[in-house]
Amino acid sequence: MESIAQAVAERVIDLVIEALDMDALIAKIDLNDVLAQIDLNSLIDRLDLNEVLDHVDLNQVVERVDLNQVLDRLDMNKLLAQVDINQIVSRVDMEGLVRNTDLGAIMVSSSSSLATEVIDMGRGHAVRMDDTLARWVSKLRRNHTRRSGSPELPTAEESPELPTAEEEP
Amino acid sequence: MTAPIDANRPQLVPGDGRPPPAAPPGIGPDLRGQHSGFASRFIAFLFDCVLSIGVFMLVLAAASFAASVLTGTSIHWSRANLWVVIAFFGWQFFYYAYCWTTSGKTPGMVLLGVQVVGLDGSRVGTRRGVIRTLAFPLSFILLGLGFVGILFQRDRRALHDLIAGTAVIYDWDTREARLRSLAREGSDGRA
Repeated sequence: MESIAQAVAERVIDLVIEALDMDALIAKIDLNDVLAQIDLNSLIDRLDLNEVLDHVDLNQVVERVDLNQVLDRLDMNKLLAQVDINQIVSRVDMEGLVRNTDLGAIMVSSSSSLATEVIDMGRGHAVRMDDTLARWVSKLRRNHTRRSGSPELPTAEESPELPTAEEEP
Repeated sequence: MTAPIDANRPQLVPGDGRPPPAAPPGIGPDLRGQHSGFASRFIAFLFDCVLSIGVFMLVLAAASFAASVLTGTSIHWSRANLWVVIAFFGWQFFYYAYCWTTSGKTPGMVLLGVQVVGLDGSRVGTRRGVIRTLAFPLSFILLGLGFVGILFQRDRRALHDLIAGTAVIYDWDTREARLRSLAREGSDGRA
């Protein structure tokens, strides 16, 4: 009797399910309302995320992401404000950096002696005198050209492959 | 040759907000490879004169001393002595020819940061170095008119440069000098 009842019930359920229009049913359900009633935190707590992630092919996911678009939406200033630069610098291998780059040479030349300082100063003054002389001569030539009415002298742009110091700002 | 430093590039400001220290006079964009001016070359030449004549006098004095020790008679050198004149010009020729052919720089040029190069920026070499040394006195003999080209020519070449096919350029690293200057200013500011 019991088995007959169970068989009848199963048959009835099958018939009901077949008769149901699932799309219409889902359309009638307010999913937002349903989601509002779900405690997502407890749901997530019950999820083994590691197991989920094991099933995910991250490479495929990343391939489908437009990283440029993601970067465009990033506020880099806000991001950098959270970065501890000092901590990053403390992790830099300074010795390796000095050994493998021009930084070492620059530091050596920067920590120069008094003699180098004097030579730099002397050379600097000599270059300034060179420029002053070049300006005087240039003025002299301009005045002479104006007085004699001859055509303009070639400009500095026409100079040969090695330019002169007076052309620099 | 290095590319010139961009003079319009914004300068770094020290962390404490102080304005960046000013560079020493003359130390601006990189000058390497540019034709050297009259003042740098003249000061370098003066230094070479003092050095070469000083060395020559020292050698004469040493020779005189050695002669007085060995023979007991002292030798007095004078400009009227033909051998002294020949030795002087021989020494001057050696001094300049050796320096220009080997490195393109005399000690004075090293001090002032200038160098003699070929017209294409190549090394002077023996031939051009010797020709330049031989032509050098010509610039003096013509009442110094041989040097006028340094002032008036765009490529700043003197008569002896024109004859030898050489040019004189700046050879000191102004970028390094600027860094040194900034480092000094920085350390002075911190002290």
